[in-house]
This record gives sequence, structure tokens and C-alpha cells, in this order.
Amino acid sequence: MIEVEQLAKRFVHGRGKKAREVRAVDGVNWRAEDGRITGLLGPNGAGKTTTLRMVAALIAPDAGRVRVDGIEVAAEPMKALARMGVLSDARGLYPRLTARENIVYYGRLHGLSDVQASARADHLAHVLEMVPLLDRRTDGFSQGEKMKTALARALVHNPPNIILDEPTNGLDVLATRALRDSLRRLRDDEGKCIVFSTHIMQEVERLCDHVVVISHGRTVAEGTVAELSARTGQSDFEEAFVDLAFTPTERHDAGELAGEQTT
Amino acid sequence: MMARSAWAVFCKELVDALRDRRTLLTVFLSSVAMGPLVLVLISTLVSDIEKRADARELTAVGLDQAPTLRNYLLRQTYTLQVAPPDYEKQLRDSKLADPVLVVPADFENDLARGEVPVVEIISSSANQRAQSGVGRLGRLIAGFNREQGTLRLAVRGVAPSAMEVVEVDERDLANPASRAAQLTAMLPFFVLMAVLYGALNAALDTTAGERERGSLEPLLMNPAPRLALVIGKWGAVSVVGMLIAVLSSFSFLPGQWLLKSETLAAMFQYGLTEATAFLALLLPLAGALSALLMAIAIRCKSFKEAQANATVVVLGVSLLPMMTLLNQDGEKPWHLWVPALAQSTLMARVLKGEPINPWDLAVPAIGSALLAVVCLAYLARQFAKAAVR
Repeated sequence: MIEVEQLAKRFVHGRGKKAREVRAVDGVNWRAEDGRITGLLGPNGAGKTTTLRMVAALIAPDAGRVRVDGIEVAAEPMKALARMGVLSDARGLYPRLTARENIVYYGRLHGLSDVQASARADHLAHVLEMVPLLDRRTDGFSQGEKMKTALARALVHNPPNIILDEPTNGLDVLATRALRDSLRRLRDDEGKCIVFSTHIMQEVERLCDHVVVISHGRTVAEGTVAELSARTGQSDFEEAFVDLAFTPTERHDAGELAGEQTT
Repeated sequence: MMARSAWAVFCKELVDALRDRRTLLTVFLSSVAMGPLVLVLISTLVSDIEKRADARELTAVGLDQAPTLRNYLLRQTYTLQVAPPDYEKQLRDSKLADPVLVVPADFENDLARGEVPVVEIISSSANQRAQSGVGRLGRLIAGFNREQGTLRLAVRGVAPSAMEVVEVDERDLANPASRAAQLTAMLPFFVLMAVLYGALNAALDTTAGERERGSLEPLLMNPAPRLALVIGKWGAVSVVGMLIAVLSSFSFLPGQWLLKSETLAAMFQYGLTEATAFLALLLPLAGALSALLMAIAIRCKSFKEAQANATVVVLGVSLLPMMTLLNQDGEKPWHLWVPALAQSTLMARVLKGEPINPWDLAVPAIGSALLAVVCLAYLARQFAKAAVR
């Protein structure tokens, strides 16, 4: 279970008089339960990646707290990281190592032995349907193959909490479907707590049990897909999302632009 | 946890670096093989010069009209050769390897009348091989001059000692090893560069390369202490650098067997003792340079940017040893505290055959260790920042 309370982070760009403060995250709250897929839905630049980076102890928040299975991330980052598997926005692999070596490397950093880590790699290869890839060098892998390897690498220590930052970026339909199936299996068979950030409504509609809408660095709404649609009085979830995430001015500007393009 | 993580990182980085075959091969050919190759080239040049000196051959024009001079030269056991007609062109094109002595047609008559005939020694300063024979030829003619002069004085009843009031005897205090050091002065430079280039790619790949690939951020999401990651990476890069140091230090051993010049082979004393002394100097330096390169590269977003920044280190390592050449005051105690400068100074001493006391070896090692510690502390602090920037 992951709990995020009143999280805030600001960045300062430039120096001296040119310095400009950006409030990337400004009061984000959510809670991801075990055995459930929680979707963080928000437009580009809403603060999703920054939030997840704070959850993964990569950057320190200015305010607020994050707890993973009751462990304060700020106080005990290493202990918290041991209970999380994070597939971050950056998911570079080592091209001169095989997929198995990439996975085993992370396993060893999590304190597994070579044998244990290799066994986990075999198990995950079955779950993610990537057995033929396992002993090939990752140089030349397709986007989907890279994603599967990176996901297996993030899950090598069998973490109870799984965090995925825009995992479907750059994947084709089949790869996206395969990923969705894998995530459902992880939720249903192993009862994992899965947090999933995206800006694509269909993903959320198809997959998420619980949706957190983030916009302008804040949590603006929370609930199931049906609840959110009902709340905005929209039958279409896309319309509901646009109502929730964007201000009337933004909607107006975007509408004008779309209108100009069609005429 | 700390040691286990560091070990895991070390193993992975080492495998990764050693699989980069093409880079390693380039480093091997350009750095490790370069030193011995240059040594062999020098030896070929020197042995050629020696062969000419030993051959006692003389190329001349018009010697037939100068029987007195010819007689003198033959008595000095020289073999006389007639210069080819286009000797000037051949000298200019470096095809003729000997200077040419030109004797005028009326040399013998002038000599007999007591006038001063003019002989010419023709060479080209652009022709290295011919130029090296000019001094020898000049001395030979001076010998003829002296003999003739002495004879003329003797005829007039003057003792030869009246002409030579002082007798000059040269004594060279340099032992053979320090004479060889003049020729082998550039070896430390080659070895230093080999170590630097050996560590360069691995250092950049584990820092800037990791950022460019986007693998640094996921790496930091493992529950491993930052310092363990840094130390594991540094260890692997250092080992690659040290491997190159070992290879280049020992590459001069077989390089020595290929020496063609016997004098040079006798002078260039590079045995196991010297190789071990080189290693004692280079291993700590490999560690320090690895840390320095990594500290510079971690600030760079791409491998290319890091390469540009690393040029400063390459420049420093190649220019620092020059201080000893340019500085007229000679070696200063603080030189031994500066990495690269210390190593090149001491390697030069090893090649000169001068004794090196343990403290002289300890000072550069401590200097390198200090540099490494500072760079590693900086790296550990920068790691997290670099991942998200």
C-alpha cells in the first residue's frame, strides 16, 4: 500500500533575476491499496513523474509525506525501495548485457544471490512472455521487448508494490495489450499494489480499479471510472477527464484551436 | 549491504567494459603497442647510424686528383666511394645517406705550393642520416690538416708540442643508463597516455553514458547506498585502467628484444625491476585518473559532451610532465605530490637507473589517493542530482 499526503515540490530554473519558480507538485494526495490497480491520470506536465520520483526517493519533497507499507520514504528510503518495483520514465538497459544479465544485476542490488535472481528472471520471463529473449543481448531489442525487460528488472525482487510511469509510451497495440494482461495477472494472482501513471484515457478505462486525476500539480478528483463520469454528468470518460483536469480557459483555448484546424 | 552492492556493481561494470571489444582493441593498439613500436623505430634509426659509423665509408668527388688526401684516408682504413653524379639531388631527396666530400681539381698542386685548397662537405640539414655523418667527416679532414701541419713544422725543425700546448681528453660522467634516458625520455609519456586512454572510455560509459542511456535513474531506485554504486563503478574503471597499465609496462620487455641497435639495447635497461617500479607508480595513478574522469563526466548529459570535457584531463596529463623539461630549476619536492607529474618524473628516474627510495614511491601514491577520495565523495553527492536532471 502506498500513501501520499500533501506532497509538494518546486523547482527553480535559472539564476539571479531570471530565476523562475515552478511548482511541479503542489498538494498531491492519493492512496493505492493492495490488490488494486490505481491509475494516476493527468495531462502532460501535470506533475505525475515528479510525484512518482518522490515516491521512489529519487528526489526529496519540499513538503508532505510518502509511506510505503507504513514505511516513511523520507526517513528510511532504502527500506522503502526494497518494497517497491519502479519502472520509471527512463528505462535504459545495458546493451552489452543479455536480458537475463540486466535482470540479475538488479536482483543482486536487491540482495538476492545469483541463483535466486536468475530463477526470478526465468519466472518473470514466463509471466511476461519473453522467454526467447532472455539470453539475447538487449542491443537491438524492439520497444516492446525493452519494456518487458525493464519491467522484469523492476520486479526481480518480487516487490509488493509496483510503480509504472507511463509504461505504454512507445508501445504498439499488441505490446500494450500484453502489458495490460501481465498487470492484471500480477494484481489477481499475487495481490500486488499497482500504481500506473498515464495521460491516455483508454488505458485507465480498461485497466484501473481506482483513478486519481492530477492537474497543475494537484489531485483534482479521485474514484472509479464510473464514479468520476457520474460526478461530472458526462457519459463519456474522455469528456469527464477534460472537465476535471482542465480549467474553462484552457478548454476554451484548446477548443478554439481545434475549431480553427477543422475549418 | 554496502560491500555486496559495491561488488555486484563492480562485477557488472567490469563485464560490460570488457565486452566493449572494439574500444578495448583501439586502446590496446593506439596506446599499449605504441610505446614499443616507437622504441623499435628509434632503434632502427640508431642502428642505421651506427652501421654507417662502423662501415667507415666515405663518399667523395674528385679524390683521384688528390693522392695525398686519398692516401691519408686509406691509412685511416676508410673505403672510398665515388659520389653519384646527381648527388646534390639525392641528398636533397634523402636518398643518399652520406655527406659528400668535394675535392677541387687542383687540390694537389695547391697543397704542394703551400696555398690553401678548399674542400667542401656537402649535406642537407633536412637529411637526418647524411647530417649525422657531417661531424665525422669534418673531424676526419681536421685530422688530415693536423698531420700536414705537423709535417710542415717538423720539416722546419719545430717540435709538434709547440703546436699543441694543451692536450684535451674528454670524460663522460653519464653512465650508460642515463645516456639511454635521452632516447627513452618519451616512454613515460606513452605509458601515462595508455593508462589514461584505458580508463577514459569505461569512466565515461559508467557515468555520462549511463545518463545518456537513461539507465541511471532506474539504477538509483535500487536499495543500494549511493557510495556503494560509486565505489563499484570506480573499482571496475580502475581495474580496466590498471590492466592497461600492466600491459603497457610489460610491453617494453618484449619490445626490448626487438631492439636492433646493440648499443641502445645495452643502454636501455628495462627489466622486471623497472617494470615493477613502473607498476608501483602507475596503479595508484590509474585509480586517481579514473575517479577524476568519472567526476568530470557525471556532470555531462551525453557521452559526447563528456568526451569534450575529458579533453582537459588529457591535456593536463600530457602537459604536466613537460614542466620538468621547461623548468630550468629542475625537480622540486612538490612535483611528487602532483599526479601525472610525479609519475613521469619518477619513471624518468627509473629509466636513468637512479635509485628510488620508498618515500618517493609513497608520496605520489598518497597524492593519487587524496585525489581519488575527493572525486569519489563528489561523485556520490552528484549521482542522485545527475539522474533526474
